[in-house]
Amino acid sequence: MPPALEIRSLRKSFGKPAVDGLDLTVAPGEFYALLGPNGAGKTTTLRMIAGLLPADAGEIRVFGVDARRHPVEAKRLIAWLPDEPQLYDKLDPLEYLEFVAGLWGVAPEKARANAERLLVELGLHDVRRQRCEGFSKGMRQKVALAGALIHDPKLLMLDEPLTGLDAGSARLVKDILAARAKAGAAIVLTTHILEVAERIADRIGILARGKLVAEGTFDELRAAGGRAGATLEDVFLDLTARAA
Amino acid sequence: MNALNVFGRLVALDLTLSGRGLTDALRDKPPLVRAGYIVVFLLALHAVAWPFGLFLGSREAGPNGAAFLVAAARAGVMFVLPWAIASPMSAVSRLLAQRGDLDLLFASPVSAHAVLAARVFALGIEAVGATAILLGPLADVLAFQGRPHWLCLYPTLLGAGIFGASLGLALALALAFGLGPRRARVVTQVGAAIIGASAVLTAQAIALMPAGARDDLYATMQSAPAAAAALRLPERAAIGEPAALALWLVVALAVYALATLTLSGAFARAALLSAGAPAAQGRAKGAARFSASLGAALRRKEQRLLWRDPWLLSQMGLQALYSLPIGFILWRNGGVTGQAGVAFAPTLVVIAGQLAASLAWIALCGEEAPDFIATAPATRGAIERAKLAAISAPVAVVMAAPLGLLALISPRGAAVALVCGIGACVSGALLMLWRQAPARRGLVLRRHSQSKVVAVIEHWLSFCWAATTGLAALGTFLCLAPLAIVAITLWLARPRAKPVADLRSASFSPNSSAIS
Repeated sequence: MPPALEIRSLRKSFGKPAVDGLDLTVAPGEFYALLGPNGAGKTTTLRMIAGLLPADAGEIRVFGVDARRHPVEAKRLIAWLPDEPQLYDKLDPLEYLEFVAGLWGVAPEKARANAERLLVELGLHDVRRQRCEGFSKGMRQKVALAGALIHDPKLLMLDEPLTGLDAGSARLVKDILAARAKAGAAIVLTTHILEVAERIADRIGILARGKLVAEGTFDELRAAGGRAGATLEDVFLDLTARAA
Repeated sequence: MNALNVFGRLVALDLTLSGRGLTDALRDKPPLVRAGYIVVFLLALHAVAWPFGLFLGSREAGPNGAAFLVAAARAGVMFVLPWAIASPMSAVSRLLAQRGDLDLLFASPVSAHAVLAARVFALGIEAVGATAILLGPLADVLAFQGRPHWLCLYPTLLGAGIFGASLGLALALALAFGLGPRRARVVTQVGAAIIGASAVLTAQAIALMPAGARDDLYATMQSAPAAAAALRLPERAAIGEPAALALWLVVALAVYALATLTLSGAFARAALLSAGAPAAQGRAKGAARFSASLGAALRRKEQRLLWRDPWLLSQMGLQALYSLPIGFILWRNGGVTGQAGVAFAPTLVVIAGQLAASLAWIALCGEEAPDFIATAPATRGAIERAKLAAISAPVAVVMAAPLGLLALISPRGAAVALVCGIGACVSGALLMLWRQAPARRGLVLRRHSQSKVVAVIEHWLSFCWAATTGLAALGTFLCLAPLAIVAITLWLARPRAKPVADLRSASFSPNSSAIS
């Protein structure tokens, strides 16, 4: 089976390089956390994979599909959750999910069943008939996450998915994502909450100035940092300081 | 900080923000260059106003000079005062709905009276500001030409601004409490638009009345001299009667003081009411579901979002309302020649074209989740085609009834209106497609401030389609001339550089919506 995500020599410049020759591989069923300081190129990378931003150079393959040449085919396999959820205020969560399912060609019956299940799982079932316009940031985040999951994507890319969630909701989301990974979906997540990466990611990549400066399991990163008993925060700060 | 200080700071802040809005196109220029542009602009306005000033001055000095002056002032008051009420009324309703900095202000230890007084004052100034910019140079040059009483225009406008803003505030709050915040917003916007256009609509309605009814109306108006005198106060102030001007300012200040002192509590309560308004319910039982096709899902989404946004629908309706006076004028002219098709067909075509352009703008530029839609497995073209297909149904629904009516009066006129209407819709939609830039849906009626070039092209196309329709309804081949101009205009407006999406994606804009 081809890798879920394979990036080779990816480059994007906005006057100065934002992503600078990035190589990255994520296997199916893998939970990959992409960390980095502000402006490191995390979101730019995810946007290029999602087809939202044209790359200047390099290769992006999603389950073997060349995403730069065949973006529509690649998008069928991908879900992307931005850090600021994009919802339609005048739709209710159930309608939103059915609409998203329609875009990905999911049959209405299956879409309805998936939507109902996700709304229950995410604790949104009671508000499924209320328009999103009055929702809190956390609720909006959960509706958007449900939208990302409704078409059973094989590659999930989540930009700061836990921002704005309370502790209970954050736990719920982590559990749902872990279950998706166990079921074979690859998950690429960016986060500033290092504890999340430390606890749930199979592998962690640290990006600085558009380059991958370190990659591996938490233990491998700690070993690379050369400090026994160091936390991921220590390792992260050491590695990004060295790259600066 | 005392109340006066707070008042001054808040008024200064509001006016600074409005000023920045007006000079937005110059924001990249250094302050001195910006000031230079503004000075040149004002000098140009005065230069343009000079010959008009000479003309007005000669009329004023002529045999019926006094009557002319009164008529000019009356016409000005008829147009400015309704606008001075309508604009703040609409702004207060928007303020309550969007809240903006209200949370910050009400959470601060400043007095609610001061906050409201400042906001109403600034709204009043903003409401008459554009009029002052346009008419001020005329008053200045007339004063320079030896008629200083024209400078009374400025204090009269100031009075109209604060008087109108106070009434607008009271009306908006009454509606908010009477109808609830959600419904009040739509009603207020529609009400404000009707008040704003009342001078034009009333004048046209009176002109269309049978002569007998019109005479009765005039007689009734003259039988209430006290009311008429009160109504003439701002007009007498504008022509420079010192006592009338002083009284007008006293009245305006009294209404303003009364409104801000008595309504500040109500304003704060209305703001709380808006913030705590219950969320609207979503789909009614039995409503159609989204299907498993990108095109159908997008069409249904666009139509449902539009249908659920009465405020947006009201804005669409207002566009038609503002076009009606042209229809009345054409009706009267067409009525003389007995050709109703010539009278109404161009109006219908203009309304259809504007409606289609607005809806296309909402669907393309006002997309609430552009990045999300861009991740859907479809080409940009497929997404745009589905969106444009979605807007065709509402345009057809809105135009069906007037077209049907026109068909009863003039089948030929209706046929021409149908064909040209479709053309106007296609050209309006194409323009929005080619020149799209992301924005909030609610700004649809202000979309023309987004790009002046697009606004000019859109109006030009409307004008050409109206001319084509009118000439075609008359049965002359001359209609091909404006039609050719439409084709040339569209050809010149077509995108020739990189697709818009690529250009937008080259920035860090969070709203960029590149679709590969």
